Amino acid sequence: MTRTTCIDPEILARHDRPGPRYTSYPTAPQFTEDFGADELRRQILRSNAEPIPRALSIYVHVPYCFMPCFYCGCNRIITRDTRKGERYLEHLLLEIEQVSPLFDRDRDVLQVHLGGGTPNFLRPSQLGHLIESLSRHFHFSSRSDRDFSIEIDPRNVEPGDIRELAAIGLNRASLGVQDFDPDVQKAVNRLQSVEQTLEVIEACRDSGFRSVNVDLIYGLPKQSLAGFEKTLDTVVEARPDRLAVYGYAHLPHLFKAQRPLDASQLPDAATRLALLRLAIERLTDAGYRYIGLDHFALPSDDLALAQASGSLHRNFMGYTTHAECDLVGLGVSSISHIGDSFSQNPRDVPAWEVAVESGRLPVWRGLQMDPDDRLRADVIQQLMCAGRIDVGQVEHRYDIDFREYFAATWPELERLAREDLLTIGPDGIVATSQGRYLLRIIAMCFDRYLQQPPCTTRGPTSYSKAI
Amino acid sequence: MTPAEPGQARRGIPADDGDELHFCSTCAFSAACLDRGYDKSRLMDLHVLVEHSPPIREGEHIFRESDDFNAIAAVRAGTVKTYVTDLEGREQVLGFFLPGEVIGLNAISTAKYPCNAVALETVLLCRFSFPKIATLATRMPGLQQHLFRLLSEDIGKANFLAGDFTAEERMAAFLVVLSRRYAARGLSATRFRLTMARTDIANYLRLAAETVSRILKRFQRDGLVRVDRREIELLDRPALERAARNVLRN
Repeated sequence: MTRTTCIDPEILARHDRPGPRYTSYPTAPQFTEDFGADELRRQILRSNAEPIPRALSIYVHVPYCFMPCFYCGCNRIITRDTRKGERYLEHLLLEIEQVSPLFDRDRDVLQVHLGGGTPNFLRPSQLGHLIESLSRHFHFSSRSDRDFSIEIDPRNVEPGDIRELAAIGLNRASLGVQDFDPDVQKAVNRLQSVEQTLEVIEACRDSGFRSVNVDLIYGLPKQSLAGFEKTLDTVVEARPDRLAVYGYAHLPHLFKAQRPLDASQLPDAATRLALLRLAIERLTDAGYRYIGLDHFALPSDDLALAQASGSLHRNFMGYTTHAECDLVGLGVSSISHIGDSFSQNPRDVPAWEVAVESGRLPVWRGLQMDPDDRLRADVIQQLMCAGRIDVGQVEHRYDIDFREYFAATWPELERLAREDLLTIGPDGIVATSQGRYLLRIIAMCFDRYLQQPPCTTRGPTSYSKAI
Repeated sequence: MTPAEPGQARRGIPADDGDELHFCSTCAFSAACLDRGYDKSRLMDLHVLVEHSPPIREGEHIFRESDDFNAIAAVRAGTVKTYVTDLEGREQVLGFFLPGEVIGLNAISTAKYPCNAVALETVLLCRFSFPKIATLATRMPGLQQHLFRLLSEDIGKANFLAGDFTAEERMAAFLVVLSRRYAARGLSATRFRLTMARTDIANYLRLAAETVSRILKRFQRDGLVRVDRREIELLDRPALERAARNVLRN
């Protein structure tokens, strides 16, 4: 990949506005409580009835954390009480027993992801119990490329833990780092040394994890170019297979966790942009490929290979090489994507526990996609994964005239073309090298739920900034 | 504008209700009659026999085994599955009926329906009282011929999978026959939705559900078909026809 210094700061700045990350389309705010347990049950039966029922991808949410990070926008609960973990695990096992029989046995599980919160709030033995239960109730694929991944907080890892996690079948790890700069770490209440982080990365490699991902965040309070550069140098040195570089979204009215954070210490817009550019330059110079939307990978990594071959996909867990799985979400606030439906579990532990104990599928809300949703989801998926929309293919598949169908948003696409974010040609709509860093902005043009015409209005403020 | 279901877009025949002298464009009989130049009064005779019944929802039965037979019915929209239940309570799928096809023909000889018929999705039917249409047919040779043709097609359908065929042959034949049937109704021969569950397909083809999926995956890998959820696209029809040759014999 060429160096990306060609990004025009003015254009970046103009588009630094809120927008969804499109881990799903329609996005979660569109879900409604009309969609309940009965609908989910019906969707699962329907999905079993497909001529080739999809393989499964399982997401398990562990909401607990020992300490609050002030930047957090996830659904999490701060506690030091490990008995809560035990109780939570018991309910997860119950939920597995209820959900699993609904799926036909020949639907292999290709992907398991443990996310949080902090999945390693649970001890490796507890996580082992969880995986063992999943393997008994579902059918795990024996394919070598199955992905069993876990988000790890390196501050909560004891010697021998990583080896145990590998032994229970986990083969990908994702480590939160954010920034090694001590001033930033203090400001966000997350003290984590370089040494303990590198030790965990090393332990993952030694234990046979197939890949290690590191998460960084730019736009944090007290963050400086010099400090972030040092972090990038340290991380590049450790050479994780994948990297995610997220932009911090300060939305304290939505995320209580962010309220203690001192907003006066946040970097200004120019610094924010400079931090992003620095990250892009450093990582591409170090040989990482830009996958799309915040993600980088080494050229030999499965994600980079999948991107090159056009088989990259995106779901709630981010980018994945496993196309076309139905997603089963377990635990508090988890989202499932079965057939053409989305459904989400209750966001608070008591409501989820009550549902699970009563033997009901714990569905809080959801959505049944209509044909228009499916078309737009396909378009946005292509954009997010390939950086281009194959207009001819979309026209063939949905029997539409693309330009006529998207007439309302066409002037906006042309405007983005003039700004050199995309080209409109015989191959379709293709994001330019700088447009690839603003995929959310392009995707928003195809989002029916943002006010029309979508790109000229500000999106709902519940979304994080686009860059 | 809204997009159609993949594979169904723009090719669907509108299920209009017709009026006194204009039959539904999907009517199983209108073509036979109109082609022969019957005049309007004759068509009126036929048309008064038609009874448009309210939509039948997914999972609802149209008739059950040993119900009294009184009418044959043309499917206007949706798919109907016919099946019998054996002494152990196991279901045996007999066939699927697509828009433009007629159900109930196999009841003519016994005066009782010999099987169950259930809607696999919302189904619209035109019912024809059988005694009345039979009487009318004596005065309308075209209609009579058409009835005979429907009967012989129905018998042919039943024999379709009686032989000793491999799973691949059965699956290929199933797809080819569906394609021909859709084409005969003016729908796309290469892209259609499999409106029946894979367990129904498996049961009909006397295969395990896993086998249906495994073979479709193989067909897909070999470039014969593209499967996206329930949508099927036949990419290499000649190859499928070849694979189905033993079953179809033509």
